[in-house]
Amino acid sequence: MSNLIKPYLIETEPYYSAQGDEIKIFSAAIERGLPMMVKGPTGCGKTRFIEHMAWRLKRPLITMACNEDMSASDLVGRFLLDAQGTVWHDGPLTLAVRYGAICYLDEFVEARQDTTVVIHPLTDHRRILALDKRGEIVRAHPDFRLIVSYNPGYQSAAKDMKPSTRQRFGAINFDFLPRAQEIQVVAHESKISSEHAERLVRVAEQSRALRGRGLDEGISTRMLVHAAGLMVESISAHDACAIAMVAPLTDDPDLHAALLGFVEAQFGPKE
Amino acid sequence: MSALRNHYQVEAALENRLRSLRDVDEATYSVVLACMPALEDLAKDATDLALLIDVIALVAVEAPDCSASLATRLHSIPEALSDLECLRKWAVHGLQRYKDQAVQRLFFFSYEDPSIFSDQRTEIDSAQFIRRRDMLQSYLSGFGVNDCRLELHDPQAAKLLPPSVSLSREIIRFPRRLTDVMANQRDALFRAAIAHAAAHFRHSKLLRPAGARHPTLLALISLVEDARIEHLMVKDYPGLHALWGKFHTATRESAGFDLPGLAARLARALHDPNYHDKNAWVQSGLELFTEAVQRDPYDQKAFDSIGRKLAISAEKMHQHMPENYRPAPVYRDDNLLLWDMNPVYQDDDRVVVSLKDVQFRDLEEDISPTRLMDVDMRRKSFYPEWDHRLDVLRDDWVTVIEPPLSAIRYKTSPKARTTKVDHQTQRRVVDRAIRLNKLAEGDELDLNAIVDNAIDMRSGTQPDGRIFRRHGRRRKSSAIVVLMDQSQSTERYATGTFTTVLDIEKSAARLVTNALHSNENRVALHSFSSNGRHQVHYQTLKDFDEDFGAEPQARLDLLRGGMSTRMGAALRHASATLSARSADYKVILMLTDGQPSDVDVLEDDYLIADASHAVLCASAQGIKTFCLTLDRRADAYVQKIFGMRNYLIADDANAFAGYTGKAIIKLISN
Repeated sequence: MSNLIKPYLIETEPYYSAQGDEIKIFSAAIERGLPMMVKGPTGCGKTRFIEHMAWRLKRPLITMACNEDMSASDLVGRFLLDAQGTVWHDGPLTLAVRYGAICYLDEFVEARQDTTVVIHPLTDHRRILALDKRGEIVRAHPDFRLIVSYNPGYQSAAKDMKPSTRQRFGAINFDFLPRAQEIQVVAHESKISSEHAERLVRVAEQSRALRGRGLDEGISTRMLVHAAGLMVESISAHDACAIAMVAPLTDDPDLHAALLGFVEAQFGPKE
Repeated sequence: MSALRNHYQVEAALENRLRSLRDVDEATYSVVLACMPALEDLAKDATDLALLIDVIALVAVEAPDCSASLATRLHSIPEALSDLECLRKWAVHGLQRYKDQAVQRLFFFSYEDPSIFSDQRTEIDSAQFIRRRDMLQSYLSGFGVNDCRLELHDPQAAKLLPPSVSLSREIIRFPRRLTDVMANQRDALFRAAIAHAAAHFRHSKLLRPAGARHPTLLALISLVEDARIEHLMVKDYPGLHALWGKFHTATRESAGFDLPGLAARLARALHDPNYHDKNAWVQSGLELFTEAVQRDPYDQKAFDSIGRKLAISAEKMHQHMPENYRPAPVYRDDNLLLWDMNPVYQDDDRVVVSLKDVQFRDLEEDISPTRLMDVDMRRKSFYPEWDHRLDVLRDDWVTVIEPPLSAIRYKTSPKARTTKVDHQTQRRVVDRAIRLNKLAEGDELDLNAIVDNAIDMRSGTQPDGRIFRRHGRRRKSSAIVVLMDQSQSTERYATGTFTTVLDIEKSAARLVTNALHSNENRVALHSFSSNGRHQVHYQTLKDFDEDFGAEPQARLDLLRGGMSTRMGAALRHASATLSARSADYKVILMLTDGQPSDVDVLEDDYLIADASHAVLCASAQGIKTFCLTLDRRADAYVQKIFGMRNYLIADDANAFAGYTGKAIIKLISN
C-alpha cells in the first residue's frame, strides 16, 4: 500500500450494530467492484456503517463532503505552483483511484450535476479517470471503490441525481434501527443506562410519527446519543432532551410543545 | 348639536336596516315591526336595536323560517338583548351547526337558549383549547393516532355541569368549560386526556355490546378498565404516571362516601401505590385489581368480574351511580366508546340471492354509455370568513365553486394590440449554482486562473490579470394571479367611454400577461363572481403554466359579467392556489370596479372587514396583494382592505391598462 494513502486507514473498530444483512451484501458488492449508494434519513448511521466497512475490509477511506461550491477540480486535482514551475496535485478522488482506496462522497446530491459526471467513466466497465488538464488517463487500482450517500427525505424536492448517474450504483436503504437495537446503540455510545436509553428511544419514535405532519425528519439516533451524553454529564432529562433533541429539530411553537409532551410522557412532568 | 346629528344618523341607519330586512323577508319584517315597541323598551338605544336587526337579517337571508320564529320569541328572552354579541355568536353557531338540517335548525332557533355563549369563563376556556389544538393534534399523532380530530362539545347553558371528555373513533370532544382546574394545569390536563384517549385506542376493546347491564355496573367496569389501560400505557410511557397523578386528588375528606366519591378514591388507589385508603370497598377493589394485574393484565374477563363484584357490594351498601356521574379525575372520558348501547344484530335480515333470480344481459347487447350528466364535476373548496363584530373566523363559511376546464373549442379573435412593459428592473438573487470565473474583480480568487497567470508570467508572456471569481445571480421568479371581478356592475360602461368596465379589465389582464409571462414570471388569470355564500363562482381563464395561446384568450374574450363581488372568498382561494407554488414573489393583482358586496349580506362593513382579513392572511403567507379599481369613490374602503399604499384608483378608464403595468412592475421590483 502506498504511503500516500496509509493515513486514511482506520485503526480501531468503529462500533456498528447491523440492521440486517447489509454487511454481507456490502462486502459482496465491494468484492465485485460495484459502486454503492447508501441512502436514508439523517443521523441513522450511514457514515458510521461506511467507516466500519472500511475497517473491516482493511482499506483506506477517503471522505469528501459534497457541496454546491465544489468543482470538478476539487475532486480530481489541479496544477499548483512551486519554485520550479507548476506541479500537479491529485485531488481526493484521483488519490483513491491511483492507489486503491475507498472514496466516499458524503451528501452526494449537494454537488452540482455537472461536477458529478466526472465519476461516470469510473463507474462502468472502463474504470478510468480522465485528467484532461494533464492529458493523463488514470486506470483505477484494483482496490479502488466508490461509495456515495445521500438523504432522500428533504433534499429530493429541489435536488436530485441525473438518471445517468443514478443507474451506475447499487443502493442500500437505511432506516432507524428497531427499538431494542437502537436502545443498545444509544446505551453503548453514551454509556447511559439502558432504562433511560429506552425512554429516549420511545420519545424519538413518537417524534418520527410526526414525519410529514410538520416535521421533515424525526429525532435521529445521533440526537439521542447527544441527549444521552448530556444526561450522563448529570444534566436533567428534560433539559438534555430540550437542548439536544427538541430545540434543534423545530422552530414551530406547536410542534415544540408537542415534542416536549413526548419527553414528559417518558420522564414525567417537569418540576 | 353633534349629539343630535349623531342621533339622527343612528335612526337613519336603523331605518335602513329595517328596509333591507323587508326586502329579504316580508314575514320576518312584519313580526319584528309588531314587537318593535317591546324591543325599544328592552334595548339600550337605537345602535343596539340596529345590531339586533343585523342578527335577525343574518338569519333571515339564510333561513327565513328560523328568523321569523326567532323574532316572535325575542321579547320573551330579554337576557339575549342585553348581550348582543353573545346572541350573534349563538346565531352564527346555529347556522353553522345545522347547515344542511332544516328541521333541527328551526328547532334550534325556536327553542334553544341564546345565552349559551354568555359565560365569560366558558369562552376563555374554549379559546384556550382552540389555541392549543394544533399542538395537541401533533401530540396525539405521536401516539400513532392520526385520523382523529379534536373538537369542543356543543355549547350548553352555563348553569349545567359540563360534560366529560368524549371519545369516538373520529373525534375527541373536550368540554367548553373546565371546572376545578387551575389555569397553569390546563395544558397538562389536555395532554393527560389525550394520552388517556390514546391508551383506550391502543388497549381497549371498543364498542362492546352493553346488553342489559345496569349503569352502575357499566361505570364500575369502565373504571377498572381505565385503570388497566393506564397501567399498560405506563409500561411504554413511564412519565405518564406522574402526569395523570397530578389530577388524582380524591381523599376521604374531599371526595366523601357516596358512590362517585368512593369511585374517585378507588381510581386514585388503583393509580397511586402510595395512597392508602381505609375504606373496605376501596381496599377490596385494590386487592382484586393488583392480583389480576399480576396474573395477566390482558385478560379482560378477569377485570370485568372485578367491576361486577364491586357493583354487587355497592348494591349491598345501597349505593348507586347518580344520573350526572362524571368519571374522576377530570381528564378521563365518559367511556361511551367502550360500550355499544344499541347493538344491531343483522343475522336475520341477510338476503340470500340465488342465481335464478338474476337476469343476465345478452353479451352482444348494446350498452348505452354511462350518463355523466347528473354528476357534479365542479370542484368545491370551503373557506372561512371573518366576522368583524365578534373577531372570529366562521369556519367553512363560504363555498368556492370552480368549473372543470371545458374542452369546448373556442373561436379565436384577432390578437389585440399590446404595449410591451419594460420589466428589466427586477431584482436578482444570488445563486451559488451559477459561477462566474476569470473576472477582473470578485469575491474570491480563481485558483485555476492564478496558475495560468503564473505560467504566463514565467514563460515571459503578458498575463491575463483576471484572477477572481464570484457567484452568479439569477432573476427572481414570481407567480402572479390577476384576479378579475366579473360582477354585474362590470357590464356597465365606464364613465366617459363606450367600453364596458369588464373590457377594460380584460385589456389590462392581457397587457399584464403579455408583458410578464416568461420563464421566471408566471401569470395566471382568474375571475370570480358570487351569489351568496354557498356559491362563489371562480374560474381559471389561464393557468400559471399554460401558454397565453388561443384557448385562454378565447376564454377571456367570452367572459361576461353577472352576480356579486364576494372579494374575501376569492382572495382566499387565490392565496391557496399561490401558496401551492414555489416562487420568490407571489402577487395577487385585483382588478375591480367597486366595493365588495353580496346578496346575502346586509351589513355595510362585513365584507370589507373580511376582505381585509383575507389580505392579512395572504401577506402572512408571503403573498402581496394590490388592487386597481375604477371606482372614483373607492378611497373609503379600498385602503381598509389593501392597506395604505397597495392600491391605485384609475380615474381615467383609458389609462387603466397602463396603470396596471406600472403597478405590477412596482410590485415585483422591490
